Amino acid sequence: MKTIFKTMLVTSLRDKITMFYSVIFPVALLIGLGYYFDNPAYTPRLLTGVIALSSLFWGVSGIAFQVHWQRSRGVYKLLKLTPFPTISFIFLMTAARTLLGILINLAVLGTGVIFFDMAVTIGAVLGTMGMMFIGILCFTCLGFLISNFAGNEAQINMISNLFFFPMIFGADTFYSLKSAPEWVSTMGGLFPFGYYVHGIRSVLGISSESPLASIMVLLIYTAVLLILAVLTFKWEANANGQIQMKKAKKRQRAVV
Amino acid sequence: MTNILMEAHGLMKQYGTRTVVNGVSMKVYENEILAIIGPNGAGKSTTLEMILGLRKQDAGEVYYWNKDFQKEVGIQLQATPFFPGLTAFENLQLFAAFYKKKLSKQLGIELLSLCGLRDVMKTEGSRLSGGQQKRLAIAVALVHNPKVVFLDEPTAALDPKSRREIHQLLTELHRRGTTVVFTSHDMDEVAKLSHRVMMIDQGAVITEGDAKELCEIHGVQNLEELYLHLTVGGNEQ
Repeated sequence: MKTIFKTMLVTSLRDKITMFYSVIFPVALLIGLGYYFDNPAYTPRLLTGVIALSSLFWGVSGIAFQVHWQRSRGVYKLLKLTPFPTISFIFLMTAARTLLGILINLAVLGTGVIFFDMAVTIGAVLGTMGMMFIGILCFTCLGFLISNFAGNEAQINMISNLFFFPMIFGADTFYSLKSAPEWVSTMGGLFPFGYYVHGIRSVLGISSESPLASIMVLLIYTAVLLILAVLTFKWEANANGQIQMKKAKKRQRAVV
Repeated sequence: MTNILMEAHGLMKQYGTRTVVNGVSMKVYENEILAIIGPNGAGKSTTLEMILGLRKQDAGEVYYWNKDFQKEVGIQLQATPFFPGLTAFENLQLFAAFYKKKLSKQLGIELLSLCGLRDVMKTEGSRLSGGQQKRLAIAVALVHNPKVVFLDEPTAALDPKSRREIHQLLTELHRRGTTVVFTSHDMDEVAKLSHRVMMIDQGAVITEGDAKELCEIHGVQNLEELYLHLTVGGNEQ
């Protein structure tokens, strides 16, 4: 277990390009926009928004591409032949990525503290880590689900966007939705992202609402997404690809 | 070649109305090299996957010498399942962990040396050449010291030098007592390496036995002629 967990950390850490963008992009975004707006009242919203976006992309896209790659290379097929349960491997991989995701977002939080004098207590940091854990886990389950339905990398992007757009535009992450039509916030309420944003704000003391409701909703989303991901899990990568090829062949025949 | 390690009876597999495997029965004897040959789409890989438990058969039975056989079976699939960012040695360590074994550096080096990969043990798996990747995939299949290894086209798309290195590796594995079952399209390699040949076409076993004896029985010069003589695709040619 220890070797596998360590190896999963190493394989993510050695992906220099992903790590660079996962750390540098949110930090640079926070510093750049923070200085551009130069508004102490807005900085907390900006900070929580960047943490939430970073968690979302790390959880959903990161795991979806990783699972797709492993599936297409026959890793799960091989695992079926070993005494090591595939579910344990997936759990360890998720745990390693969740740990890294928390560390990345702590770096973003640290940037807020250093550059924008955000006052954060130890209790708030611990609470934020707990919230990040639940949030990244939830988004990771969504990433798994997406990878189960996507036949190739392009489909991962397309399906991810189906979730990203309503989640990002339907939540009051960077701006208030008070002037937006009601359906926008109703749509946002159907997805876990807005609850994560509110939860982070609560544990950091940026809003006065209790984080419990957000935690409960996120846990329900996590459980549902996990069950769906397990039910739709595929050992091999060929299913969708084959369907696509068959459809393409049929179309070719029709054209001829 | 007396002990039977694996025995399959009447394996059947259908996808919709298409029968991919149609009543395949086969045996694998201890310490033999068995080659499974046949045209593309003949049902070789599906048969392998069914006997390994990767695919459920519609009918038929598979028996192993041991109920806990998976711990003593190694497999190399056509795709190379190396984790990005991990060296050849780290990949081996990871797969050893999947078999709940801790691979010491010494054992790892021994295995990599056996597979001719000692010099590239610190090279990332995905940066190895095609031949080296195939050998690393075989090393992964051997990491838990299995009694029998199943290799799916171990020399496909390799240059003659890499092919020869894999031939030497298979011969060495046999010398060390490992049973080898492999699929191939290279009739020269099959004739050179295998003790027994099993030819599959249209989902059924059409002949099996010693390559030389089979050629004599059918009055052909070599295995390639036998292949062309017996298989449907071959007859069309």
